[in-house]
Amino acid sequence: MQRPLSSGLCYNLRIPMQFHRLVKQLKKIVGKDGVLDHPEDLMLYEYDGGVDRGTPQAVCFPQTTEQVSQIARLATKENVPIVPRGAGTGLSGGAIARQGGIVIGFSRMNKILEIDIPSQRAVVQPGVVNLDLTHAVESRGYYFAPDPSSQKACTIGGNVAENSGGPHTLANGVTVNHVTGLEVVLPGGRIVEFGGKAAESCGYDMTGFFVGSEGTLGIATKITVRLTKLPEAVATLLAVFNTVDDAANSVVAITAASITPAALEMLDGWTLRAVEAATHAGYPLDSGAVLLIELEGLREAVDENADAVREICLRVGARGVRRAADEKERQLLWSGRKNAFGAVGRISPSYYVQDGVIPRTKIPQTLRKIGEIGRKYDLQIGNIFHAGDGNLHPLILFDTRDREQTKRTLAAGQEILEYCVSVGGSITGEHGVGMEKMAAMPVMFSEDDIDVMTRLRNVFNPAGTLNPQKLFPTTRSCRETYSPGHPSVGGPNATSEIHGAD
Amino acid sequence: MASGVATEQETTLHRELGRIVGESFVLGGTPERRKSERRKGKRKNQKERKTFADQLSDCAIDGVIPSAVVSPADEKEVAAILQFAGENDYNIVPQGAGTKQSIGATPQRVDILLRTHRMNEVLHYDAGDLTLSVEAGMTIAEVQGILAKNSQFLPLDPMLPERATIGGVLAANAHGPMRSGFGSVRDYCIGINFVTGDGKTAKGGGKVVKNVAGYDLMKLIIGSMGTLAVITSANFKVFPLPKQTRTFILDCSDLATAIAQRDRIIASPLAPMCLELVSPRAHEYLSAKSEVRDPDHYAPQQGMKRAEVYSLVVRAGGSDAVLNRYRKDLGEAVSRELAGAEEIKVWQRLSNFEDSIRTRHFNCMVVNAGVAPSGVRAAYEAAEQSALEHNLLSASIGRAATGSLTFAFVPLGVDPPNAMQFANVASSLRSRLPKGSAAVVVRCPLEAKERFDVWGSSANDMALMREVRAAMDPKNILNRGRFVV
Repeated sequence: MQRPLSSGLCYNLRIPMQFHRLVKQLKKIVGKDGVLDHPEDLMLYEYDGGVDRGTPQAVCFPQTTEQVSQIARLATKENVPIVPRGAGTGLSGGAIARQGGIVIGFSRMNKILEIDIPSQRAVVQPGVVNLDLTHAVESRGYYFAPDPSSQKACTIGGNVAENSGGPHTLANGVTVNHVTGLEVVLPGGRIVEFGGKAAESCGYDMTGFFVGSEGTLGIATKITVRLTKLPEAVATLLAVFNTVDDAANSVVAITAASITPAALEMLDGWTLRAVEAATHAGYPLDSGAVLLIELEGLREAVDENADAVREICLRVGARGVRRAADEKERQLLWSGRKNAFGAVGRISPSYYVQDGVIPRTKIPQTLRKIGEIGRKYDLQIGNIFHAGDGNLHPLILFDTRDREQTKRTLAAGQEILEYCVSVGGSITGEHGVGMEKMAAMPVMFSEDDIDVMTRLRNVFNPAGTLNPQKLFPTTRSCRETYSPGHPSVGGPNATSEIHGAD
Repeated sequence: MASGVATEQETTLHRELGRIVGESFVLGGTPERRKSERRKGKRKNQKERKTFADQLSDCAIDGVIPSAVVSPADEKEVAAILQFAGENDYNIVPQGAGTKQSIGATPQRVDILLRTHRMNEVLHYDAGDLTLSVEAGMTIAEVQGILAKNSQFLPLDPMLPERATIGGVLAANAHGPMRSGFGSVRDYCIGINFVTGDGKTAKGGGKVVKNVAGYDLMKLIIGSMGTLAVITSANFKVFPLPKQTRTFILDCSDLATAIAQRDRIIASPLAPMCLELVSPRAHEYLSAKSEVRDPDHYAPQQGMKRAEVYSLVVRAGGSDAVLNRYRKDLGEAVSRELAGAEEIKVWQRLSNFEDSIRTRHFNCMVVNAGVAPSGVRAAYEAAEQSALEHNLLSASIGRAATGSLTFAFVPLGVDPPNAMQFANVASSLRSRLPKGSAAVVVRCPLEAKERFDVWGSSANDMALMREVRAAMDPKNILNRGRFVV
């Protein structure tokens, strides 16, 4: 078991009273069965979808906003870190108690409080599982649009913290585009409201600002989300290419042709072979790359766009385009994509998944560059990603036991991210900065940019007790330098669909 | 500011601003000239000076004349101006074209009006990636012109697009009918560059369509009414222009029928670009401009034949097959179908509704309301009843599917309104709106403005918003006293 990164510890964690006294107080707040403090229980809460780790001193499970508020008040008074946690499927270490302290688990705040179809809204507690909300409303013709690959497990509270995306956010937008109101507990225990069911509210857009703040501003305890109408028709196409370049150029051509698919995913040859071996989704083993393209909406528009996409792919150099004949075939095509990370986990002891974003016109050259970087560092890099919005997920294969290779993996990862930023992109499209990419923040943001963000964090979270040492690069109050210890690494066990990066 | 000290301050103000941006980009003159003007009043022979004073008073905000108007060329100059203002406690009002300056409380004083019109360049346009970066001072119409060359557009159709600037639209979170099908600007602004109240140049987001690195400062600054930062440029996700569009008008005999039609469209697979609900009296402001008569007393036509219908105006884009589907599904409810120039005109007038009210009625009040979609019917009724109760007439339009509504209140011809009437109708409207709604008075007579809170209650925690404001503008120099005070 890995210990928390000692090099990252600079937060002054003083626990001025015996921790068991704190646990006693926590039990008073949430009940005896609502607190875990045995080491063997705590072990289950020391990791998320990556392998950064940190052990909390206690995990508690509040059932009401009032209890969350009391926990927050207590923690602030005692200067103990608090870390909110949904299902722990995140990939950047956002839910890890890096400094120890109290993890607040939301598995008991998992009720859908209201479904308001006439307003296309639902009000949920943070522990509601993403897909459960869709299941609750789909019989009435609606669904919750953000669909991270972990949607069978991940919670809406976690989606709000990370501003989660997913394959189908290309047309529908990410989590922030689907949240209209929040109830939030601030670190001192104060309960505040932002927005509501109305799309427009008076004042600053506190709701929009809060979404994606990675648990550093407050703890969402009630979330009002927008529900989206289920599409009338769906078409899923598999386009097969001999080269990665042809596939990448097709993405550019589809975007340029004014077609916005609901999803536009790409797998390169190496990855699709790995996937095919595990899933038998029907991807041709001798191809250089495949595109998985989904179109949604009005039947007439879907049919037209499907034909147009087919034509573009064939024109640019696809050797074949297949449209799923029925739902079964559609699910099969998607199963390859959704289980890809698990499939890669079968081959390699570990992999480092990245989340950089580039302008869509730069996809061909970036994929070539990633190939070059792979050769330079002598590493196998697979590419599977949301091509439609330029969100790359390069998978660098390595073995954690090989220190020298791990070093090369990190260097290659950094070089890929720097390249993404150099062509006008971003270091993260949907996984968040968390612990994993703190050191990369200065590649994108100036000191003044970070300063403005810091000031805003200090408004909400002045003592820094809420989710400390996340998102921000080496804080100034901290004398030690943060050194990225371990990248987000998946092993065979951490790469199921549940933990899958999307 | 009649004292000698003030005069000296003004000299410093103009000199320093001139030093930053160059003298020709500062409006406002030597104290001697200003003093002599005050003494001599508006005598005809003081032509040059009068022009000069007029220029300044043309920039008045709610009647408050700025001491200086400055037009910086770039972000650096903006930062220098803000630093200088912070050091000297000068109150700054940032402005694009000023089409929305009627929003917010009346400022106590305006030391510097900071105009962004010189910052009007395209910084980056990658048509293949459908992304665009522009400076804050570029007008919406200019941006659309540039995008149209590549058959692209921003689904941003606020009023007066020939004048309204990117920065102003972002600061006010302004929108038009396309808000319905494409979301608001917060949904497609992907990056923002700005200068904080203490003169720090910073940014949020980036140039790519998907990005979660760092805090989402776009969301915070959009709609902050120039109280958190001066926006200098912004990046957008742009959209392909639909191949063709058609507009279907569904005239309904009453509000209940119109809402039922709206519900039918929302529940159907159709996804129109725009879905507006027009109240009977609002039609008058969407027809050809009638002559502006005595603005103080002009009232809507009373005796004339007037459309007594609530109309749903539906705009759809796509191929012939898609449009045929709309024709089929909307069916007999469609009264008229519009295309081409006629169609464009209808949408321009819907966008310009507030301006049309303003040009026809000197005494008018316009409220932007945000309600949950299920509250739209109640909101239209609330506007109608509140107007009746206080001897005013109401004309309403709005995004019927999203609940972003605009209510206008205009005086009866026979009865010149007094200030309290407007204050009362605002409070009456607010009390009638469904819980959780917002109703911001974006325009009303000055005398009325002093009598009530134009913002109304907020669904957002006020104390926290004040702290956010203090973090971004620690010296409280940006639009002081107008929003989140």
